[in-house]
Amino acid sequence: MFAHNFRYTLKYLLKNRMLIFWTYAFPVILGLLFYLAFSNIEKDEKLQVIPIALVKEEAGQAAGQGENPAGEILEETVKSLSKENDPDRLFDMEYVTESKAKKLLDQDKIRGYLLLGKEPQVVVRENGTEQTIFQQVISQILQQARLSQAVTDSPAMQKALSGISSPEEARERAEKVLEGLKQENPNIQDRSGDHLGYTVIEYYTLIAMACLYSATIGMYAVNSMLANMSRKGMRISVSPAGKGRLIFSGVCASYVVQLLGLGILFAFLVFGLKVDFGRQILPVLFLALTGSFCGLCVGIAVGALVKASENTKIGVIISVTMLGCFLSGMMGITMKYLVDKNIPLLNRINPAAMITDGFYALYYYDTLNRYWLNIGSLLLFSLLMILLSVWSLKRQTYKSL
Amino acid sequence: MITHLFRGQRRYLERGKRMKKIIEVENLTKTYQELKAVDNLSFFVEEGEILGLLGPNGSGKSTTINCLLSLLHYDRGRIRIFGQDMTPDAYEIKKQIGVVFQDVAVFEELTVRDNIDYFCGLYIKEKALRKQYVQEAVELTGLEEFVKFYPKQLSGGLLRRLNIACGIAHRPRLIFLDEPTVAVDPQSRNSILDGIRVLRERGATVVYTTHYMEEVEQLCDRIIILDRGKIIAEGTNEELKELTGIEEKVTVELKKIEDRQVEAIRGLEHVKEVTRSRNLLTIIYGEGTNNFGKLLAFLEQESVRYDKIYSERPTLNDVFLELTGKELRD
Repeated sequence: MFAHNFRYTLKYLLKNRMLIFWTYAFPVILGLLFYLAFSNIEKDEKLQVIPIALVKEEAGQAAGQGENPAGEILEETVKSLSKENDPDRLFDMEYVTESKAKKLLDQDKIRGYLLLGKEPQVVVRENGTEQTIFQQVISQILQQARLSQAVTDSPAMQKALSGISSPEEARERAEKVLEGLKQENPNIQDRSGDHLGYTVIEYYTLIAMACLYSATIGMYAVNSMLANMSRKGMRISVSPAGKGRLIFSGVCASYVVQLLGLGILFAFLVFGLKVDFGRQILPVLFLALTGSFCGLCVGIAVGALVKASENTKIGVIISVTMLGCFLSGMMGITMKYLVDKNIPLLNRINPAAMITDGFYALYYYDTLNRYWLNIGSLLLFSLLMILLSVWSLKRQTYKSL
Repeated sequence: MITHLFRGQRRYLERGKRMKKIIEVENLTKTYQELKAVDNLSFFVEEGEILGLLGPNGSGKSTTINCLLSLLHYDRGRIRIFGQDMTPDAYEIKKQIGVVFQDVAVFEELTVRDNIDYFCGLYIKEKALRKQYVQEAVELTGLEEFVKFYPKQLSGGLLRRLNIACGIAHRPRLIFLDEPTVAVDPQSRNSILDGIRVLRERGATVVYTTHYMEEVEQLCDRIIILDRGKIIAEGTNEELKELTGIEEKVTVELKKIEDRQVEAIRGLEHVKEVTRSRNLLTIIYGEGTNNFGKLLAFLEQESVRYDKIYSERPTLNDVFLELTGKELRD
């Protein structure tokens, strides 16, 4: 019975043109639109090399530099960001005196200059994108330099580094300390191996939306089994085939249809649009599978619990999905933060929020704790939906047909 | 009429004690809010018979069938099929039942053969046997040339035949046919009726609901007439005709007649009712012999001019209209 119903459910779902469009074609079209939109954004945002100057103060050059390791780090970093032939070159830097720097700035040959000294200063003449970038980059480098200086000077680090006799031992100690710091604070991470683009997060939301689209397939599979929804359902209801088995096989077939859709979407993103998911592709895939299963269960529950026409059920699914996506921040991350801050329970029972939070966790955190928490929540939510559906469908007769 | 009803019911109940009952319904009651759709209904269906369920729209035919199939929740009563209580999970009973619903119930995305195979597969697991049954159903309904067609490519009559094939392919012992010939051409209707006779010859018991009286007359061994959820008459075709108190119906296609002559006909022996509609005069006799000859003699004597004159036995339609009334229903 399982194989029989599975085979035919697969057959009629795959021949349903409307369903195929929304499950297979629509996410791909949306992905293409994302690509066209974001590729332009990235193109627009590609930076030109910014001409700057670096001024070493006469006094500071001899005495101050020695007392200011942050200044040294700053100078070295700016030098490395200004290397010729480097594809990631940010600055076109030259060493000048302060008077020459002022002159170059007045002639608009540089966007600003960095005055090295005890307290490094950035001098710009006007406001602009390149000037802001220059200021922000120098500010960030200074902060990082001071942080690393503080860590190096801390008693813990001094203790950790004491008694080191070889470079290998020093490296080993340093790794241990870094690992300890990571465990204490998961926000400290090494992202050097990742190449996650700014737009990847938008593709995550697209995948999440495609996952939740499985609700329509789930609802459709259940509806065709219900006597109050269709004449086919009446015919199936009067047959000796157990409703539980039929629904189970129907749902399995629906899941396969959904997975095919996800496969097409991923293939299109990875091979067609060359979206780079970095090292996260396997967790992303697993979360997509779990999210699709959860969406399917939501569809089954709507099919079983909502006593209304098929069109009304589709309306309920679209409304719930869209509201869920909106609250989970698919249309702007601010909403997610607002809900998390003011009504955290809402995002705990919102499958869309669980999926997006899982993706955000993959993006922002190096550990998978929060990711697994979301996977667990999705599975728990799915189980609840299935139990409610089974309870509703078991031994069902109708008051009217 | 009440006396006749009771007499007919007594005969029916006595016969029921002798035959094997496939369906037994006792005091079935189903209400929709204030409306009693089925009101304390009791009847049975004997093995191998074709039972006709007749009634105007809203009389409770489909509701009764849906209650019998455990699709609808009912308020009161007991339903036994094959000697066992019918419940939503009575799978052993369901295995032996086939249902053809009023509306076509097939998958638009599957071909004719796939549709029949899918529904047959809900009853028959063995693939080889199912293949044989599907082929038999295709042949019985005359769909051999259309097995690869999709439902939207079929005409109304072919769709109805597909609907029937899906309901009976698994060779059920008990078949419910709910108005299977609605909106089909005469050729398809004949084909469907022939198919139902074949099913009965193979040993199936059939419960058949329809609005078409001639189908019931041709097909059914016994008839139950429902109105407002109650049985108002039951018996064989002949037994029901007896209930009307009509012995003979004579129709005259007139050229000319005077009112006093119509009144004189009303006064003839055994005449129960005379109705005149344009050029048609209908005379109903309650009893008597040679009524037709006596009427011919009267018309000759009165020099009444007419084109045609013919005599009929009462039809089931007469019975139906007499029992359920002539006012329009929803």
